Amino acid sequence: MDYENRTIPEGINVSHEHPLKEFAILSIGLGVATIAFIAALSLAAGWLVHFIPFEKELQLADSALFSIVDDGTEADEDEQRVQLYLQELADKLAIAQNLPEEMIITVHYQDSDTINAFATLGGHIVIFRGLLEKLPHENALAMVMAHEIAHIKHRDPLVAAGRGITVGLALTTLAGFGDSALSQQLLGQVGLVTSMGFSREQERDADQAALATLGRHYGHSHGAEVLFEILAADHNEFAPPALLSTHPVSEDRIAAVKRYPASQSENFEFIDLPTDLLKTKAADTDQQRADLSEDTLP
Amino acid sequence: MADLIVLATLMTLGYVFGRIAEKRHFKSIIQREQDYQDLLTFSERLPPPGMTAMQAELVGGSVVISVDYFKRVVAGLRSIVGGRIKTYETLLERARREAILRMKESASEKGAQMIINVKLETASISKGRKQQIGSVEVYAYGTALIPSTQHD
Repeated sequence: MDYENRTIPEGINVSHEHPLKEFAILSIGLGVATIAFIAALSLAAGWLVHFIPFEKELQLADSALFSIVDDGTEADEDEQRVQLYLQELADKLAIAQNLPEEMIITVHYQDSDTINAFATLGGHIVIFRGLLEKLPHENALAMVMAHEIAHIKHRDPLVAAGRGITVGLALTTLAGFGDSALSQQLLGQVGLVTSMGFSREQERDADQAALATLGRHYGHSHGAEVLFEILAADHNEFAPPALLSTHPVSEDRIAAVKRYPASQSENFEFIDLPTDLLKTKAADTDQQRADLSEDTLP
Repeated sequence: MADLIVLATLMTLGYVFGRIAEKRHFKSIIQREQDYQDLLTFSERLPPPGMTAMQAELVGGSVVISVDYFKRVVAGLRSIVGGRIKTYETLLERARREAILRMKESASEKGAQMIINVKLETASISKGRKQQIGSVEVYAYGTALIPSTQHD
């Protein structure tokens, strides 16, 4: 009887590949696949939202939004007058822009120092006092307004919201973490998403549409560049490089305005903002406005 | 973000400690396997022919090893695309060899010469329960043959 148990060589059942290597390959591969999938979803969402009628967008906006915008019920008389003026201007520009009839623009005036304006779901445009105070004439204001109306006409807020929600839901579903509360939160932030989620192409298209509108409404598009000069002055301290910023850099936009055919005419005049409009402001703001127009206007 | 930080921390902990434990375990397994080289094990049901009469006794050894978090995540990723779950292969290899070693230790204490009819059972603990660290049990058992002279 001559039996033995020989030593079995190591490494038959166990692979000697480093576990981190397997992890790296798996996570990178799956990461790339997931990103590609979500990008495809986002593109599809951006395309599909164009089939949502504006009426539905209004309902969505009414139900999901508008803690950010006060509807003017608490506004004093001055503010109401400003809002009325802005609304009239918006209506005129909407006609100049051939806005489809079912699209309704609602302008909201916010008494805040923020130098900004944005368009969001349901044809709502919010303009802050901070920006209004900096504008030297109606033409510049019309540029802001026409730009935001163009966003609404192009359904940009809806595209941003549709993409934001789709990507958010896909991420929470795929990752498995997060629950319905997170999705709710996501839906609640739609307004926020739409106010900053436009791509550079969308901004550029809106600029071009706005210039065309100015050309049609005033006969020229001079003065539009003032808006970007103001924005550039406001953001100078931490201006991001062109590639990182969603908005085209102000210099590019100013150049685009100056290249635009309607900006080539020799004879033009600016329309003043109604003088009594912003009389609630302190005198120094008027001084600022005067300084600015001296600096920037030809 | 907090989710990601927790995940990364758990994975790092799992990787570092799991890796250290696995290295040590393999070293100890290889050492002890050499120590018990002379105690023969067979999967045959009956002893080799021509053996003198011996006393027979059931011996067994079981081990439970837990999956670490890193292995779980890698296995989870692997289960999406398919293929060898290499991180679990080492785990089961350790468990099998450790179980056989414990069986041999127990047989050796009884003065056994060989173990016949060796079988292995594997069970996964916390099977089917999500979000819980899974662990694997391997039980090795067989019939130890003890020379009767020892009991005279």
